[in-house]
Amino acid sequence: MERVQNLTNAYSQAPWRKQLQFLGLFLLVVVFIGLVAGVYLSVTARAAKVGRDIQSMQSDLEQYAQSNVNLQSQLGFLISASEMEKRARNMGFKPIDMDQAIYIAVPNYTDRRPAILAPAPGRVVVSAPALPAEYSETLFDWLDRAVLQSPFPLINLKSLFEVKP
Amino acid sequence: MNTEHAWRYILVGAAISILPILIVFRLISVQTNPQEVSTFNDQSKLYEGEYHTFYPARGQIYDRWGNLLAGNKTVYQIGIELQEVRNPQTIALTLNVVLGLDYTKVLGAASMSPSKDAVFAVVADFVPPDKVEQLNQLAQQIVDTYKGSQDKNAPSLSGLKTVPHLMRSYPEKDVASNILGFVSRDNKGYFGVEEKYNELLAGKPKTVWMPLDPNRVSELPNVPDGASLVLTLDRVIQAEMEKILDKAIQSSGSKSGTIVVMDPKTGEILALATTPRIDLNDFSSYFDTFNSNTPFDRGVSQAYEPGSVYKVLTMATALDTGAVKPQTTFLDKGVFEIGGTLIYNWNGGAWGPQDMTGCLEHSLNVCLAWIATQTGAKNFYPYMQNFGIGHLSGVDLAGEVPGRLKIPGDADWYDADLGTNAFGQGVSATPLQMAAAISAVANNGKMMAPHIVRSMINKGYQYDMDQRVIAMPIKPETARTLTEMLANSLEKESSDALVPGYRVAGKTGTAEIPTPMGYTSNMTNVSFVGWGPVDDESCCSNLGFLVYIWLEKPTTSIWGSEVASPVFSQVVQRLVVLMNIPPDDVRHQLRGQ
Repeated sequence: MERVQNLTNAYSQAPWRKQLQFLGLFLLVVVFIGLVAGVYLSVTARAAKVGRDIQSMQSDLEQYAQSNVNLQSQLGFLISASEMEKRARNMGFKPIDMDQAIYIAVPNYTDRRPAILAPAPGRVVVSAPALPAEYSETLFDWLDRAVLQSPFPLINLKSLFEVKP
Repeated sequence: MNTEHAWRYILVGAAISILPILIVFRLISVQTNPQEVSTFNDQSKLYEGEYHTFYPARGQIYDRWGNLLAGNKTVYQIGIELQEVRNPQTIALTLNVVLGLDYTKVLGAASMSPSKDAVFAVVADFVPPDKVEQLNQLAQQIVDTYKGSQDKNAPSLSGLKTVPHLMRSYPEKDVASNILGFVSRDNKGYFGVEEKYNELLAGKPKTVWMPLDPNRVSELPNVPDGASLVLTLDRVIQAEMEKILDKAIQSSGSKSGTIVVMDPKTGEILALATTPRIDLNDFSSYFDTFNSNTPFDRGVSQAYEPGSVYKVLTMATALDTGAVKPQTTFLDKGVFEIGGTLIYNWNGGAWGPQDMTGCLEHSLNVCLAWIATQTGAKNFYPYMQNFGIGHLSGVDLAGEVPGRLKIPGDADWYDADLGTNAFGQGVSATPLQMAAAISAVANNGKMMAPHIVRSMINKGYQYDMDQRVIAMPIKPETARTLTEMLANSLEKESSDALVPGYRVAGKTGTAEIPTPMGYTSNMTNVSFVGWGPVDDESCCSNLGFLVYIWLEKPTTSIWGSEVASPVFSQVVQRLVVLMNIPPDDVRHQLRGQ
């Protein structure tokens, strides 16, 4: 019995070591939780920042759209018929009379065409998805494409399974 | 561990643990108490997001060359966020000085306590950007001056908000105002193209829930702008026609006037000038300019008895049915009786033997009434209906009226009407209807649908409108014959409508104005319809125009030949320059090369 006691004492750890292990374990858990919390905070903070940036850009987009139509309108005022006429007169031009016009034949001249401000609706071409095959094919598909159907197969797998008479 | 000091560790541990325990306890109590859950849910919903309405920009309107006729500009709504107001007096004083708003009213609004039903007070709208800039500068000055001040009564514009939105703008001001119409502050189109295509131009606003939480940010909804329109109108021709019209009205002492310029081969309206007009950027002047009897666009909204210009349609019908030929001779005795009514010529005289060109040249009512009887009511009225008289032309402008064509079988139709209708009395039509009807003569018998919209731009694509033939009331040879007769008649009478270097066909019109007592007024409506260039190859020319002029109640002369004919000549002299139409000899020479 005493022998057993001695053996137990000999292989049992010192109390200070047990406390240290407990403390270490505790600190490990704390550090782990801290790490997880840190990573979580970092990711959510970045996501929130990106979200905030998107909101800000959405607001900018609205402002730019308004600014765009504003500028178009301002341009419209600046080049309105009356303004253009005023400017032309200030530069010394005046409207020509019918008998002042001189007409000459210009080969291949095409007359002024009415405004085309957008393309005409044509055949709608749906672009094919540009996802590389590697993202969707299975290993066997790859084997089939890269090895069996290739003009220069890495190995002639078919020949392995062919039964020759 | 020394047990005698263990209590100290326990005490420190307990002290450290008590705060988290209390937090956890509070968390559990909040989560499990239904009343608290409801309160916090309500509070969180206030800040969770908001409903945001996205208004599409109203589609723009361009002339045929892509010049902007109607666009949009940013204006601001001025409001007060009641929760943020610190000094209502500053807000009221500032808005009074900058925007001229009533001090007391703004002070009342700014002093309101925020409640569930009142969080934001709108005090002004459609404020131009320069005023908003002034407000922003003032706000910045106040912030700079009173930064860090602890005085609760320090001046502050806190709570004053400006919300931008779009409103219509018209760069050409009053040019083509009658065609465009205008858009009210509630974004609804009135008159013209703005009303006719209101739904298309306005687009569809979309209200969506937008979370404020940046972690839940959602994509902006796809709210396409309203469709844009490209008109058939040429803004320079339109502006020139308006100038000529204004001068003509002034020089002739007319009450009003209308000039229609269209391409008879396509039905495109190149210009439609009429009076009165308003600067569309200040559409509030509408009520000062237009009384209840004044149509916004006389070209489509006012029918009148056109008088002798109508003889073009009568002669076209007679020639097409074979009732008369150009060489047919009529002995004009100065009076013709039909249905118990005596028809006289414009000067009351007898013009003796006349061929059909002579009847048109001298605009003889007696002759035309006789021609109508030769054609017969059975043929005459169906032809008039084919010409579109008495019903809407279908032009894409708001407010079109059909005019009136009495036909046999109507309670108020009498035999005499055939005679008077022959020279454009007892029948009413709008200037555009008349132009469209007579365009069949100018276009080899084909009547194209008159239209103002050339193409539509929607979702990035431009769709051209179809040019439709709406009727073929007469044969091509009839159209050519009549065009030649009318060109000859103008040349023979040395009309003021003639244009040096260009052969044109046309007809004057002088119409008595009916009153409730009959044709008792001394005033007349004078008109002219003409088209060109008329030459041997007119059928194949790509450059063509038809001009219809109406001057209401001129005072300097009552005759169309004296008032309306010279206006036609002026119009054509400008048109040929603006449309790059060379004189006949140059054109023939160029074709020969």
